[in-house]
Amino acid sequence: MLVMSDINKVYQTELVQTHALRDFNLTVKEGEFIAVTGPSGSGKTTFLNIAGLLENISSGDYQLDGQSIVGLSDKELSRLRNEKIGFIFQGFNLIPDLNLFENVDVPLRYRGFNSKERKQKIEHALELVGLASRMKHLPSQLSGGQQQRVAIARALAGEPKFLLADEPTGNLDSLMAKQVMELLEKINKQGTTIVMVTHDAELARRAERNIQIVDGQLCDFTMYQGGATANEQEAIA
Amino acid sequence: MFSYYIQLAIKSLKSTIGTTLLMVLAIACGIGISMTALTLNHMTGNNPISEKSDQLFAVQLQSTGSSSTWSTTDNVPEQLTYQDATNLMRALPELKHTPMYKTGFSVRTLDPEFAPVLRSSRVTTRHFFSMFDVNFLYGGPWSKTVDENPTFQVVISEELNDKLFGGGDNTGKEIFLNATTYQIVGITESWQPKPKFYDVNNGAFQSSEQLFIPFVLSSVYELQSWGNNNGWKEERVNNYQEKLASEILWTQYWAELPTKKDQDKFSQFLSGYVSQQQKLARFERDDAKGIIRNVQQWLDYNDVVGDDSYVLVAVSFMFLVVCLVNSIGLLLAKFLRNAPHVGVRRALGASRGQVFAQHLVEVGMLGLLGGLLGLAFAYFGLSLLKNNFDGFDFVASMDITMFLAAPIIAVSATVLAGIYPAWRVCTTLPSIYLKTQ
Ligand SMILES: Nc1ncnc2c1ncn2[C@@H]1O[C@H](COP(=O)(O)OP(=O)(O)O)[C@@H](O)[C@H]1O
Ligand SMILES: [Mg+2]
Repeated sequence: MLVMSDINKVYQTELVQTHALRDFNLTVKEGEFIAVTGPSGSGKTTFLNIAGLLENISSGDYQLDGQSIVGLSDKELSRLRNEKIGFIFQGFNLIPDLNLFENVDVPLRYRGFNSKERKQKIEHALELVGLASRMKHLPSQLSGGQQQRVAIARALAGEPKFLLADEPTGNLDSLMAKQVMELLEKINKQGTTIVMVTHDAELARRAERNIQIVDGQLCDFTMYQGGATANEQEAIA
Repeated sequence: MFSYYIQLAIKSLKSTIGTTLLMVLAIACGIGISMTALTLNHMTGNNPISEKSDQLFAVQLQSTGSSSTWSTTDNVPEQLTYQDATNLMRALPELKHTPMYKTGFSVRTLDPEFAPVLRSSRVTTRHFFSMFDVNFLYGGPWSKTVDENPTFQVVISEELNDKLFGGGDNTGKEIFLNATTYQIVGITESWQPKPKFYDVNNGAFQSSEQLFIPFVLSSVYELQSWGNNNGWKEERVNNYQEKLASEILWTQYWAELPTKKDQDKFSQFLSGYVSQQQKLARFERDDAKGIIRNVQQWLDYNDVVGDDSYVLVAVSFMFLVVCLVNSIGLLLAKFLRNAPHVGVRRALGASRGQVFAQHLVEVGMLGLLGGLLGLAFAYFGLSLLKNNFDGFDFVASMDITMFLAAPIIAVSATVLAGIYPAWRVCTTLPSIYLKTQ
């Protein structure tokens, strides 16, 4: 479970103060697939970064898997992030000097697995995304869709509970986007909780729950049972 | 984790090979120059016989004319006349003290096939060996009788023994020094004080002599000094006997005076000797006197470690700092260019400390490469200097501590320099790099 209560996030720069999240409340249950939409600059990435422990909160409480993260040290946060969270970015963010094997290896190294365990997990993760045969290739030798699949393999290799994706299909054409979406659905079916920020209403609709962030605040208009969702959304529209 | 950091460092250094080479070169230049300066300083500042430094004394006499000036700070000549040297030598037999000077010979074995070699030789007494801690491989010094009655005996060095005979105990054998046969009575262990404090006349870093013959031979057998012969008096010196009786200064004189009592005794004796020579009207000056100086005082007096040697070290280390500062600039630029990847690593679970360590390992590796190359530079620099210091092997004096010191100094200096760039990358918020779209 991921529980955010009354979270506020304020960015303070010399000139301006930006309230990126206000009184933000959200509970994500295990096994959910949530799509987050909202206008640009509304705070979606900020929310995801906070959820992924990459940024701290200005006030409020955040419990990840039953543990409050308020006041934890950088080392403790990094360990939690490494064990419980997988990240996927719009820009793939593979490390260009490392081949696919080494890229997927990164989170496993920080986890402290031995080389045999790592090898087996890497191979398994790359098989899952259908790229096991290209382990020695560099990211630059792959298409965008393939790169994003490697990023997914990397995020999943350590078997995290939560997968956080920030516009994972934003840089992909619709066919590749569809493939990536199908992959995420498959992963979700296997038990991984997914929170995905997206611009694409169509893809969002495929998620079992939709939330919208507007001006740093949450408008959750959805229900858990898939059938009801569509009806209610229509009702709102 | 350390091995992972090393793998990453190698990858990273390779991926920006141009910058890497530049940084390694900069560090190597700094290290090479400071190691060269440090070796020079270390060697010139070395006390060659520290355990006896306070017990061995160079002896000087103010024997020059009233109007003569000398190049030393106190206007007293560094060397003695032959007559003074022999007079002192005969006095105070209960103390060890000895005259000496340098000469040289064409040396060969009795084997007619053997091609002669030219070697410098020290002319001295048997006390030389125990006074200066010269150890023997075989045999020993010549006897007291030989010091008093001219006898053709010789002590040779291990190196010369190897050269002449290919090693082994060759005491008792005879060799030719020029046209005269000498009997070998002792073979010394290899001995090279740095600096060559007992005779700094022709450079403080000359090789020590490989032959030693009795001083008393000088009275019966014409031996030319291979060192300085300084005259101040207008006098007739047409032959060797006249030279021995002249006021020409060409012998060194040393005394071993372990206790304060011995030192006082010797000083008193010198004053007495000076008064006597004044009465004889040989020493003309009113301020004629005898002086003794221990090894450190003697080295300082002769300016063996110039102040410029410390300046050189200071300047070279400043140069190292300049090289490092340049490298920091390059490193910082490189690390910040890589910051987005650091953001990714952070997102995947690397802690700030791990990112910091990863970068320091990379810096340390740069330092190590720079240090090793710098060592090669220093080696090269010292072998160039060798040509300017006749006969002295600088490279040989780049001792093991130097070989260890260079990489250690390089690694710690670069790691120190790399702390700032590494800290900059690891404290930047990862989200900043992940947010930009
Ligand atoms: N590091 C930051 N410093 C200052 N303001 C920021 C920072 N990150 C985001 N913001 C501001 O916070 C708001 C939310 O940004 P973001 O979460 O990236 O929105 P979204 O992902 O929904 O487009 C924006 O107004 C943005 O300008
Ligand atoms: Mg965003």
